Amino acid sequence: MRHAFYLSWRHLCHYRIRSLVLIACLSLMGALPVALHALLDQGERHLLSRAKDTPLVIGARASGLDLTLSALYFSNPELPKTTMAELERVENSGWALALPIYSRLRVKGQPLVGVTLDYLDYRQLHIGQGRMMATLGDAVLGADAARSLGLGVGDQLLTTPGNLFDLAGIYPLKLNITGLLEKQHTPDDQAIFIDLKTAWIIEGLGHGHEPPAPPSAHGANPAIQGSPATYTEITPENLASFHFHGDPGTYPISAVLAVPDNHRAATLLRGRYLDETQPGQLVEPLAVTRNLLDNIFRIRELFDVILALVGLATLLALSLVFWLSLRMRRGEMQTLFLLGSSRLTLFRLILAESLLLALASLALGALWIQLAQRGLGESALKFLTNG
Amino acid sequence: MNPRLLSMRTLTRAGMVITALVTWPGMTAQAGEGHPMTIVAANYPLAYFAERLGGEWVRVSLPVPADEDPAYWQPDSKTIQAMQQADLVALNGADYEQWLNLISLPRRKRVDTSAAFRSRYLVIKEAVTHSHGGSGTHSHDGTASTTWLDFSQAIQQSTALAAAMIRQRPDLQRTIEQNQTFLTADLLALDAAMQRVADQLHGQTVMASHPVYQYLARRYGLNLESVHWEPQEMPAATEWTALRERLSRHPAQLMVWEDTPSNGIRQALTGLNLKPVDFLPCANRPRHGNFLSVMRANIANLEATITSPQNTQTQKPRNSKGRSQ
Repeated sequence: MRHAFYLSWRHLCHYRIRSLVLIACLSLMGALPVALHALLDQGERHLLSRAKDTPLVIGARASGLDLTLSALYFSNPELPKTTMAELERVENSGWALALPIYSRLRVKGQPLVGVTLDYLDYRQLHIGQGRMMATLGDAVLGADAARSLGLGVGDQLLTTPGNLFDLAGIYPLKLNITGLLEKQHTPDDQAIFIDLKTAWIIEGLGHGHEPPAPPSAHGANPAIQGSPATYTEITPENLASFHFHGDPGTYPISAVLAVPDNHRAATLLRGRYLDETQPGQLVEPLAVTRNLLDNIFRIRELFDVILALVGLATLLALSLVFWLSLRMRRGEMQTLFLLGSSRLTLFRLILAESLLLALASLALGALWIQLAQRGLGESALKFLTNG
Repeated sequence: MNPRLLSMRTLTRAGMVITALVTWPGMTAQAGEGHPMTIVAANYPLAYFAERLGGEWVRVSLPVPADEDPAYWQPDSKTIQAMQQADLVALNGADYEQWLNLISLPRRKRVDTSAAFRSRYLVIKEAVTHSHGGSGTHSHDGTASTTWLDFSQAIQQSTALAAAMIRQRPDLQRTIEQNQTFLTADLLALDAAMQRVADQLHGQTVMASHPVYQYLARRYGLNLESVHWEPQEMPAATEWTALRERLSRHPAQLMVWEDTPSNGIRQALTGLNLKPVDFLPCANRPRHGNFLSVMRANIANLEATITSPQNTQTQKPRNSKGRSQ
């Protein structure tokens, strides 16, 4: 059999183009469904893990899926807002740790997320470089956000309106990058985190300005000289001049992540949001995510059928190629037979060639799967969560 | 040696070792497992309450420099970092911490000790902007924040602090609850003593050098009139004129001060038949003593001034004429 393998190897090497095409076809045919399943499994694991880490989400009454994706993946900035009163309602219940999230903002395509430090603690987001945000205007970057923006500790990032005609859009504020977070392989890597109060300043709910000028020598009232200039950068010198207007209970947030103390607390909290006439709603990200995955799995089943049909067609085509190749090699086989090779030897030669092709295809297929898992895992997650 | 005696001795020694191990703080459930709880307090009364409640199991810091009023202090970045890393940040509430909206602190670690009586906050209107030496101007407009001078509110604040400490460190629950009983007893005693002294005033007007005694006045029924004076800064002539005018409408014989006024001010007050009384709010750590001893001294000062012969003589006709004078 060793000789048969040698002769087959030489034969495959001689017709290397044909051999490579065959190996590529076979490997892709085998790897494609496996890689697709592996990617979806990886996406499912990521989605479920994030959902399990976030037991309950409370927000304005809208699509539960949109609320979940906005709170967990910072997608869908147009989601209706809820208020800090909802956060206080959860906090005052004493049943859960309440984490506010403001995920309406974007800077250069990256989500600009307003949180309290409790969120970073809860998600175990640790500072890799620099320090944690300390005052208004400070920001810390997720690992991927820092890489894609090309920013580091000590740099500044200007928040800009979404478009030129967005007159009521976000307030231009220079953010001071104080730290970079360690990579977590979660959507937090994509985000720029700021304090919730900084997000409200960007929204225009708070501001700092120069103290009003004293009356001029001509006795002009500063009130009729125009409003004092509003700062667009928060510095240690002007920090104390920043203030907020209005009732803090009405300040907007996108959602409240609620982490109940125990099962009983979770049940009691759910009970508070059963009334569908009230403005707030409570969703369970795990249930919402499972529902989303069920839909994805239905699509996967369709994919499987299509892939099976394509695979069958490819297999038939390859069989034809193999059979035609044997037909073309009929003269070569006849020569070997005349030289004294038995029918068994000829069968061994064909078997050895088929085995070598199968082995090479398997190896290449495994490589495709590895590359797909490494290179496309997070892309698949992004695809699933951003749509 | 008698083997029975030996075994008795061995048993006794073993018993002593076991008793020592069991009663040793490090071996009990109240050990405060791990590191001591770190608490950053926004003012001295809260620091004192935390020290009393946690005893040796807490490390309390009051980051405000000794010569600054915590109500107008701003934390630097190092202090903010310390606050972020602390187990608990004890806040007075009632807008006392003007820096709270300017910095990033975990909500979970913050305890607003006056939240329970938020609906009873007092609002100061038409306050005057003034300065303390070279430390810049400020105004007392907004919410009155010297909440702890009403000792019943101080009890509520210490209770809120104790609950937050237990939430952070359930292993210290028994220690904190025991200490809370003693602290509450001390504060109740202050409350009763202050009420007794306030009753001796029989409604007569008391002048205050600074608008920081609102809750004291409300709790103990003081008829209080405030000016905006500093103990070491001689008020301008116009302010003395304004005081005289005020005294003509609200006759008073006592004037409470945040700190001992200068000799010049004392002499001028004596000329107006106004006795200065030191009643320290104790917002920052005192040079001597502690919160309890300062408050006891405040009450004793007030009582001594009320019951002094001169005051008693001048009080009699006032009492006979009633409050309409």
